[in-house]
Amino acid sequence: MDQDYFSVDSILAANQKVQCVFKQDLPNLGHLGGGSDRDIAALSKIQLPLWLALIIIYSDWADFNIPTAFGPRVRNALKAEARSVRLASLVGAGGLWYGFGKAIVDILADEQANEISEVLTKTFRARLVEIIDQAQHFAALGPVGAAGSSGDTAQLFREGLDATERELFSLAQESAKRTKRWYEESDRPKR
Amino acid sequence: MALQESLRVSLTPPELELIACQQPIEIVPLISMERTAFISGAYGPLRPPHKATVPIWMALNLKSKKKCHIVAPEWLNVEFLQDRLGRETSQPGFSDLPFRFAEVSKVLLDVASDDLENPDKIRSLLKNLREARQAKCRDGLGTLDHSELSLPNLCSMEINEIRPFFVQSMHLLTQLQRQPPTAP
Repeated sequence: MDQDYFSVDSILAANQKVQCVFKQDLPNLGHLGGGSDRDIAALSKIQLPLWLALIIIYSDWADFNIPTAFGPRVRNALKAEARSVRLASLVGAGGLWYGFGKAIVDILADEQANEISEVLTKTFRARLVEIIDQAQHFAALGPVGAAGSSGDTAQLFREGLDATERELFSLAQESAKRTKRWYEESDRPKR
Repeated sequence: MALQESLRVSLTPPELELIACQQPIEIVPLISMERTAFISGAYGPLRPPHKATVPIWMALNLKSKKKCHIVAPEWLNVEFLQDRLGRETSQPGFSDLPFRFAEVSKVLLDVASDDLENPDKIRSLLKNLREARQAKCRDGLGTLDHSELSLPNLCSMEINEIRPFFVQSMHLLTQLQRQPPTAP
């Protein structure tokens, strides 16, 4: 999420692919798309990872389409009920939906960028309370009860968490667990 | 960076308890002792039946050897807690309690419950208080934004509990917000 050089999360986020439409013929650059062609023809569409697409877009060789993970369909779904969207499935395994979104926001022009940034922020807020609630619920259950209870919606929600949200979930769970343990236990002999 | 994640982000509850036990508390000693120097300061003299003020850790130690009675702090009784619980449930803000009330009340209830009046009632009041306050913390989460959060009267144990994920989510919000709105 950070733009830190050493941040593994931001490297992973930049590994998501975006669809680029090339504006001009590029001789001898066919390997970019991973295909066997020697050249890239104008108007060809190629999926490129974001870190590679970035330099190509800045060089004005190509335009890119907003990935479907942030497209109108997803946005409408998020607007309707942010908690029922499975963010994880939008960006693949261990996906960083927020990180990817942030990376996209950084290369877009003002208006579009603000829009996506707003979608990201709103989504995050809408889901936050539910994440923490569930984390605390599971902390309270302890190791045994966790497997048995699975409200269907709750479970679907948990499976749809993106990696950043998972991290939050475990932070909240750990902290709630520690506090609960302290409240309940005592190393002093009770009288 | 060698510390495990949970220890990097906040203190552990036992650490908070240790800190809270530095606070002074009144005891009625059952033994006499001259003024004695400890690493953290000199305490005493203890002259029964006069009250003396010592740190909580020392009071607990004496108490467990049956060498003193602990005088409960003025806030640790049924009426006071009942009053605070009433405010907690009727008003939106957190009610005003000592900053380390959770830690102090727990150690006193553990060790010196026979010096308190009606310890079971106190326990259940404290539990209710805690739950009411937790619900408010949760509401606070809904109004979280990237720049600030003001939860006055939150006590140290509660702050410690919510710190890891509040900090992380505010960090995330800062990242996601493209242009942080300028101050009005």
